[in-house]
Amino acid sequence: MGAIQKEVVCFRQVDKVYNTGTIALSQFDLSIREGEFISFLGPSGCGKSTALRMAAGLGNVTNGKVEVFGQDPKEVIRNTNDIAFVFQDANLLPWRSVLDNVLLPLELRGSDKKARKETAINALEMVGLKDYLKSYPRQLSGGMKMRVSIARALAAKPKMLLMDEPFAALDEMTRQTLQMDLLDIWKKENTSILFVTHNVYEAVYLSSRIAVMSARPGRLSKLIEVDLPYPRERTITRFNEYVEMASKSLEHSMGRRELV
Amino acid sequence: MPVQTAVTNNQEMAAKTREITREKFKFKLSLIGPIAALIIFLAIWQFIPMLLDIKPFILPKPTDVLNAAIEDWNMLWPAIQITVTESVIGFLVSAIVGITGAVVLASSKIIEISLYPYAVILQTIPVVAVAPIIVIWFGSGYNSIVIIAFLIGFFPVVSNTLMGLNSVDKNMNDLFTLYNSSKWQTMWKLRIPAAMPYIMSGLKISCTLAIIGAITGEFVAGIGGGKGGLGYAITVAAVQLKTPYLFACAICGAIFGIVFYLLVSLISHYTLRSWHESAMKVEK
Repeated sequence: MGAIQKEVVCFRQVDKVYNTGTIALSQFDLSIREGEFISFLGPSGCGKSTALRMAAGLGNVTNGKVEVFGQDPKEVIRNTNDIAFVFQDANLLPWRSVLDNVLLPLELRGSDKKARKETAINALEMVGLKDYLKSYPRQLSGGMKMRVSIARALAAKPKMLLMDEPFAALDEMTRQTLQMDLLDIWKKENTSILFVTHNVYEAVYLSSRIAVMSARPGRLSKLIEVDLPYPRERTITRFNEYVEMASKSLEHSMGRRELV
Repeated sequence: MPVQTAVTNNQEMAAKTREITREKFKFKLSLIGPIAALIIFLAIWQFIPMLLDIKPFILPKPTDVLNAAIEDWNMLWPAIQITVTESVIGFLVSAIVGITGAVVLASSKIIEISLYPYAVILQTIPVVAVAPIIVIWFGSGYNSIVIIAFLIGFFPVVSNTLMGLNSVDKNMNDLFTLYNSSKWQTMWKLRIPAAMPYIMSGLKISCTLAIIGAITGEFVAGIGGGKGGLGYAITVAAVQLKTPYLFACAICGAIFGIVFYLLVSLISHYTLRSWHESAMKVEK
């Protein structure tokens, strides 16, 4: 990473209150640097998904401001392919083949037809699914579906990848493989990744920084810089120190919730 | 989808073969059972009028019905053709108008909120009550009957399609928003395909209703001179007390209904087979 780091996302004093009266975010302040892998870690209801949705321009903030690449995120998604989102369930269109699912963003953006197919195939190759172009989502396992979903997000060559608990529904083995593959992609593609998780190990394994959040109202409770070289070993002492540190901050943030 | 594991020994193979045989037997039973029930039913029907000495114009025996159908085949066959044509046209019009109408309603919340209640109210008006007005407006014969068949089959298509178009998963919608999809792109690439299972079940309801509509239409608007459909033939047969022929007409209508329904189900199956649960064979 370069010495001068540009800012890709900036949350400034963001409040988000839903119509139901739920305060999802309160005075949320965070600045995300270009090329970083940041995890949002917190108990359910801490507004981590909300923060991600705000950064994707899906919904309006109640107070404060979110900027992506120095602009309103709604403008960014209107004009560019710079933001891609991966949902918790793979969110594939069941009536489309794997290839057609990956083609979808390119189709919607109306890019050149021939180049489109090539781009989609490249993206599928990156996630190791080149042999499944013609398969339908129902024929794939959960992990493979998630791979297609990641390929779809990558197909449009985004500068920033937002991932909302993408591996939460997968089994441990599949999850670990996907985590490794995701890190490879991150390095190769030079994107910034914002990753929501409630899994401490996952956060420490993947992220360059962890934003620990507390619930009701959702606030940033601690920022942890994970200073470990990639690829990371899950067994070394330093890894476990970070896990402990993150767990303690999480406990602390949950403890505060019980007092409320 | 379960992964096929390698069969490691003969025992497993044998178990599998046994299972397949059992499946086959089940399949045969599912075919033989209903046929046996039908034969028993027909036999009882045949014997009751004989035992109780009921006149054929009150309750004809199956053989009477069959004789009537064969004897008057040159009247029955044109009647069937007419009813089939009317129902199919009525169904196709209700499918096209219904799906298009639902897409228009769903494309704008304002239009949907303003018009949908009236669509529901219109549906509650019994078509039989409106039929004479339609005859006054469009005259006796084909036109009126097709319109009545259309009116009765139209609403299930609209309401089902509309429900399907509005039942799109929220995350999918977000995905399309993220790629700056236009309203019509979302309609064509997401909402209509997602609504297909709903549309298909609407069409299945509508196809049987279209036949009811056509026969009802023929009761009020059917014309004679070899141009009357099954509904007209039934009214005439009832007046003349040709009860066996009446039964033959009704049974032909029922058979057509079943065939039409199976045909629409088949279309539905082929449209959805690549992806929808309802059209997939479950592997155990």
